[in-house]
This record gives sequence, structure tokens and C-alpha cells, in this order.
Amino acid sequence: MKIQINKLYRAELRHGLSNILLYFDSAQYSKYIYYFSNNKIFLFFFESFMTYPYLMNEAQLIAKAKAGDFEAFTELINTHKQKIYALAIKLAGNKQDAEDIVQDTLLKAIDKIDQFREEASFGTWLYSIALNEGRAHLGKQKHSELKPIESYLPGGGNVDMHKSDSQHLFDWKDPHEILENNELETVIGQAIEELPYKYRAPFLLRYHEELSIKEIADIIGETVAATKSRVLRARLALRDYLSNKFEERYERKVS
Amino acid sequence: MSEKCLEYISDLNAYLDGDLPDELCVEIEKHVGECNNCKLMVDTLKMTVKLCREGKPEDLPSSLNDKLNNMLKKKWDKKFGQ
Repeated sequence: MKIQINKLYRAELRHGLSNILLYFDSAQYSKYIYYFSNNKIFLFFFESFMTYPYLMNEAQLIAKAKAGDFEAFTELINTHKQKIYALAIKLAGNKQDAEDIVQDTLLKAIDKIDQFREEASFGTWLYSIALNEGRAHLGKQKHSELKPIESYLPGGGNVDMHKSDSQHLFDWKDPHEILENNELETVIGQAIEELPYKYRAPFLLRYHEELSIKEIADIIGETVAATKSRVLRARLALRDYLSNKFEERYERKVS
Repeated sequence: MSEKCLEYISDLNAYLDGDLPDELCVEIEKHVGECNNCKLMVDTLKMTVKLCREGKPEDLPSSLNDKLNNMLKKKWDKKFGQ
């Protein structure tokens, strides 16, 4: 068994139904452990067992990382790397850009680690870096601005139009009946890519990363009201895009 | 859209996601039940998010992970002067 000095290590032993966790912070450890349970004393003797880095809390890891401990930094980003990549794929719509975004995000995090303030969670902070890097990569994309919310509603939000149900809206309760799964995935990817970045990012944070409006507002640096409105416009625009695509395909299918 | 619909529009997402207080929902649902277009909007807006959530998340490629580990270590050592 290897124990490195100055590092916290955790070991897990199983005894009957009990899990015993041991924490070491130095190489000074005993090969014997006394363990009290149900008023009995058990004596363990061990030659070797698995050790794991002890899960320090975020604040401890951040303090260590700021002091130059690379492993603490690695530990911090490990829990978020996968999520940042998944978000980047949705943002960029392709793996190459997503890889670049993840890479630049983490490099930027090293640059800025000293500026990290504990008011934010580390995850939130990384997301905001990732969004900036995403914008830097994808900012060249040209998108037309979304329409106002009312324009996406039946009758363009016009109260009179509501009274007659004459206005045609295509019904697509089950798009799986219209498109094959892989086609459907492509269409959804295209729909997301059609969104201007400032709508796409909050929408994905809300419905892909499942963050709250408040968390998203903090990440994008907007008010809660503005964030709510962006996420809603994105959703309405996506619905609109999908609706047109599905109707197009449906008509081709039946004609 | 009725005036009622427009009144609640800023909370439309909260309604669709089940995050609104029950008493508000009852009022909206009563209206939605009476209006075909609203019903259709509600159903398709729910489906829109459902579709965007579908598909399993892409795993971080191990080649990228290796590349990142090397690159980050280099950058780290440069920054902290090791």
C-alpha cells in the first residue's frame, strides 16, 4: 500500500454490513485498527487495501489549487469536465469545436484561478468561462435576431385572432411518427444551431444542464427577468422551427 | 391569445415546467382546455424541450482527456514556476 506524505487518502474497509472509512494525512499509520461496534471491539490487521484521494470540499480544493497544487485543480475540474463537454457539443453542434471550447475553457481557468471568488460555485464559474469561450469560437456565426414573444403565439398575440380557431397550427404531438430517430436528432441539432448564441446558451443551461433561472442569470450576467425572457423566446423559436420542419416532412409524406 | 394568456406569458415556461403555484395553474389550465390553439401550443412546447433532452450525452473522448491532462499540466507548471 502506497501512502504519499502531505496528501489526504481515504481507505474503505468492509466488515459485515458496516463500511469503515479511514482517513490518512500522513505516512504515519498503523497496520492495526481498533474498531468499535455494538459494544464490541474488533481488531483489524491489514496488509493492503485500496486507497482513494479523500474527497475534500470545494473550498479546501480551491485554496490548495490557488496555492499551486495541480492535483487539487485536477480534482476540481474532473467533476465538471464531462458536463462542459456535453454543453459544448450542444452549443457548437460538432465535436471539433466542442473539444476546442473545453480545452480553452480549462486553460483559461488556470489563468484565472487566482481571480475566483468564493461567492460563486466553482461549477458556475467554469460554465461562465465556457460560455465566453464558446462565444469566441462560434461568434462568427450569423443569425437573425429572434422575433418578439407575441409573434410566436397563435394569431401573433392578437387578441381577436384568438376567438376563432380558424388559424392553422400544425399538430405534432408525436414527431417520432413523422421522422426516423436519427433524422429527428439532426433536425433538433439544426434547430438549436439556428438560435442566436445569446438565446442558445441560456436555453441549453436551463433544459440541458437543468440549471435554475437564477443560476443562469448569474452565469450570463443578466437579470432574472431578462434570463426568463431569453429562455422563453428560445423555446418558442425552437418550437416554431420544429413545427415548420415537421409540417414540411409530413406533407411530403402524405402527398 | 386571450388577454389572460398574455398576462401569464412571462411565466409560460414556469407553467410548462410545472414550477407555478397550483392556483395559477388551475386558472391557466381551465383556459387551455377551452382553446385548441393554446392546447396545441402547450403540448408542442412541452414536446420541444422533451426532444432537446433526448439522446444520450456524448462522453468526453479519452484522446481529448489525455491531451487535456498533458496540456493543463504544462500550463500549470509554467504558471506556478515548477
